Amino acid sequence: MPLRKSSRMFYHILVGAFALLMMYPILWLAASSLKPNNEIFTTAYSLIPSRLEFVNYKTGWRGFAGTTFGTFFTNSFIIVILSTIGAVISSALVAYGLARTRFWGQRFWFVCMMATMMLPHDVILVPQYVMFAKFDWVGTFKPLIIPHFFGTPFFIFLIMQFIRTIPKELDEAAKIDGCSKYSIFYRVIVPLIGPALITCSIFSFYWRWDDFINPLIFLNNPEKFPVSLALKLFLDGESLNNWGGMFAMATLSLLPVVVVFFIFQKYIVEGISTTGLKG
Amino acid sequence: MNKLRENEHLTGYVFTAPFVLGFLVFTLYPILSSLYYSFTDYNLYEAPGWLGLDNYQRMFTEDDKIAKSMQVTFTYVFASVPLRLVFALFVAMILNTATRATGIYRSAFYLPSLIGGSVAVAIMWQQIFGDQGLLNSALSLFGIHSTTSWIGSPSTALWTLIALSIWQFGSSMIIFLAGLKNIPRDYYEAASVDGANSVYRFFKITLPMLSPIILFNLTLQTISAFMTFTPAYIISRGEGGPLDQTLLYSLYLYRKAFSHFEMGYASAMAWIMLLIVGVLTLLIFKSSTRWVHYETKGD
Amino acid sequence: MKKALTAILSLSMVFSLIGCSGSTAENPANGDTPGQTPAAASGDKKDPVKLRVAWWGGQSRHDYTLKVIEMYQDKNPHVTIEPEYAPFDDYWKKLAPQAAANGLPDIIQMDISYLNQYASRNQIADLKPFVDSGSLNLDDVSENAVKGGEVNGKLVAMTLGTNALQTTFDVETMKQNGIDIPGKEWTWEDMDKLGAQAKEKGFLMGGFAYRHDVFFPYYLRTMGQKMYSEDGKSIGYADDQAFIDYFNRYQTWYDNGYILSLDKEAQKKGVAEEDDIYLGNAISGNGWSNQFLAVANLVTDRSLELNPMPGPGQKEGLFLKPSMYFSVTESSKNKEEAAKFIDFFINDVEANQLIKGERGVPVSSKVKEALKPELTENEAKIFDYVTWAEENSSPGDPPNPIGAVEIEKLLRDYSERILYKKVSIEQAAPDFRKEANAILARSQK
Repeated sequence: MPLRKSSRMFYHILVGAFALLMMYPILWLAASSLKPNNEIFTTAYSLIPSRLEFVNYKTGWRGFAGTTFGTFFTNSFIIVILSTIGAVISSALVAYGLARTRFWGQRFWFVCMMATMMLPHDVILVPQYVMFAKFDWVGTFKPLIIPHFFGTPFFIFLIMQFIRTIPKELDEAAKIDGCSKYSIFYRVIVPLIGPALITCSIFSFYWRWDDFINPLIFLNNPEKFPVSLALKLFLDGESLNNWGGMFAMATLSLLPVVVVFFIFQKYIVEGISTTGLKG
Repeated sequence: MNKLRENEHLTGYVFTAPFVLGFLVFTLYPILSSLYYSFTDYNLYEAPGWLGLDNYQRMFTEDDKIAKSMQVTFTYVFASVPLRLVFALFVAMILNTATRATGIYRSAFYLPSLIGGSVAVAIMWQQIFGDQGLLNSALSLFGIHSTTSWIGSPSTALWTLIALSIWQFGSSMIIFLAGLKNIPRDYYEAASVDGANSVYRFFKITLPMLSPIILFNLTLQTISAFMTFTPAYIISRGEGGPLDQTLLYSLYLYRKAFSHFEMGYASAMAWIMLLIVGVLTLLIFKSSTRWVHYETKGD
Repeated sequence: MKKALTAILSLSMVFSLIGCSGSTAENPANGDTPGQTPAAASGDKKDPVKLRVAWWGGQSRHDYTLKVIEMYQDKNPHVTIEPEYAPFDDYWKKLAPQAAANGLPDIIQMDISYLNQYASRNQIADLKPFVDSGSLNLDDVSENAVKGGEVNGKLVAMTLGTNALQTTFDVETMKQNGIDIPGKEWTWEDMDKLGAQAKEKGFLMGGFAYRHDVFFPYYLRTMGQKMYSEDGKSIGYADDQAFIDYFNRYQTWYDNGYILSLDKEAQKKGVAEEDDIYLGNAISGNGWSNQFLAVANLVTDRSLELNPMPGPGQKEGLFLKPSMYFSVTESSKNKEEAAKFIDFFINDVEANQLIKGERGVPVSSKVKEALKPELTENEAKIFDYVTWAEENSSPGDPPNPIGAVEIEKLLRDYSERILYKKVSIEQAAPDFRKEANAILARSQK
């Protein structure tokens, strides 16, 4: 849709200004990470530090008694990448099963899946811990990674809804060509739900990256902590805090999620073309 | 024919096996435990003692904070979810073109959703809605001199949380973008040939084709809004103040579980929540047969 | 893109169908809880011992505590210590499931408001046997500090440091503005006057930060009453007059604008950087003595002073509060070794040169003496104040009963409703007592 030049300019000015407004928090965070410690509160409204304190990055990176943020970042990457791969792949399989095959108990499992999202996590935490303790998984990455290989309800439902927008005639056609349900899945469905899978990957990456409750509960040794949890170790209500270091590491911890989003988002829109799919 | 059907049962279970196994191994035991706890006085440190329906009864007869927190939560959900969705869809429509600039815009609009509910957001939100915040400065330009803290006063505190929720519309936006991408372009082309204008295209093509995704966003945003918890830490350090105006149900539940050590009671609260959210979801699903358009018929 | 996805997915099919489902089923569920060393007999001293030590805090506490641990390991090569640390709120959330799974660390840092919770439910061990055996040496520790860790006659927690309630004055700003500086022996009427003078000059006075859960019990103590009864089963006072007087005075301060308004208080995050003395809004503040340090260190251009709380009945009201404790858990297999570590933590001078009173003014008189020359000006002020308070205070109350956390919140709720005029003080007083008693009755079934 070619827009006229003036209206395109209008679009960019409006959307650009709005985008800037939305970016304010990130700019603010980045600016705070460069401020001297005591300025973060006294001049919180200002985006410009009185002098640039790059040393915040050094004191922040130092971490806690010998465990640097290098370790925390490595841990985060291990946990996040593995659990994301597991979550997306398994969710796609389950979603296809629930959306495109008819089997005994299908509705029941769908209801179970929805219900698991509706029960507050707080009351499940303790029995879950007891269970993982029995598995002897506490203190390892296992409770943070392995359950994700069994489908995430949010992603399953999301992918299901995308599969349902695909005309069933395509399946029928493939079936006539002699494809089994399995080959229909990866020859027909998977290419078409690319945007959904990318979306799930983005979310999973961010959620796992941001999650600190599960690492808090299931990990003990600080050398195994991910960034999300390490960030919380800076602050304490009653003493002077290394705000600068905290903000510096908080800014740094945003980088991977922003980069992942920026790289992946274009596949949502530009990805695989869906033309020629008329029903 | 019969054989084929049996085969499909098997295929169905092969594909859903990860979930079914995961559910049985990882989820079922904790869920059933919490159900059991809800009938007990479990305090985390001692073996639970059977109470029957006492916890449930207490919720509805003795604890007036339950009603208060439900009122707060319902206000929060019914104000934030529709606004968030409309906003997300609107921005997704604007950004649904494949240029480098829109890619940057998309990232910019998603950024607020990436900083979650951290301390940083808490401090920043205070810079906007605090007594010396941006909002009061902006108001003074119009001659309105306000020195109250929007975050701290009982009549507005919850609305600053709702504003925060709307501001973090990024995830819904992305799902909408992916959904828009999935609409076959031919439909629009055919409509253009027929001379349809953009309003017609939006209501006759975009909305119906997007309806499964709208259903998804509506359901999931509703569920997650009921579970919302961390943003309340932005105000009064998670106490739910002022005057319990930000006492979200899940916040109260958390306090019962981990600061009052009434895990039994908290579990009862959780199951009531499941019931409420479940009924709401069911209503959404039931209504969806009227407005959701599936390419797949008869599902 | 398309090819890659297909490849990943077909691979994964094999993986998830064969690999994953198998591996979980095979996982043997053995009854072992994590992190516990295979029963090491504590009698044999040179057997290698593993201790898990948990605490809450911020970056600086983590840093020096880990150094102390290193020091201890150097001196006791057979001991390996595994540290576990978290921020305060998360710390308790982390301990709860561990307690439920019978897998608590050997030593846990304990807070006074959780002490009864853990003690009366048999989660933490009596340390008296280790005092008797000499593993935990309390010779230099005052009786008051030891008493602070006792529940039902058992020493279930070792006080690591003490605090006392105090008033902070920004003396220089007060002098410049002609505001009278109250002496050590001052009264509530003096505080009324202070508020009025400050207000006239455009300042606030510290309004207890709405921590009535701290200051109302103090007020009760000054009148010879207690917040909780001796057995912890009910509220300790029967006459609502104290409640009415306390909140009437508070309401007057609030209505006159002597103290920060509720909405501005509500937006605070509870960190020193938003302290109103530091920001130049207030000339006074109230809190625990350890809270003085962060604020005083922030205010670099003028000096702050510590003063007692107002009276009458100052001596009866004031008490030394254990700032935090170390407890040995009942599930620990190495209680004796754990007690030895605590002994090192409170008695070793070298270790305390690293700790420097960060966990409250040390309980060992020897350590306190040895530290004195090394203190900064602000640290010395706290040490002096607490030392003064030792002589001018009364024994503290027993640790708060179970349910106290909920009652503290109830009190804060009532104070808000009073100040917002949603309820009259005369109405609130009996209602509060009634509801609080109901909470106590329910919590101690």
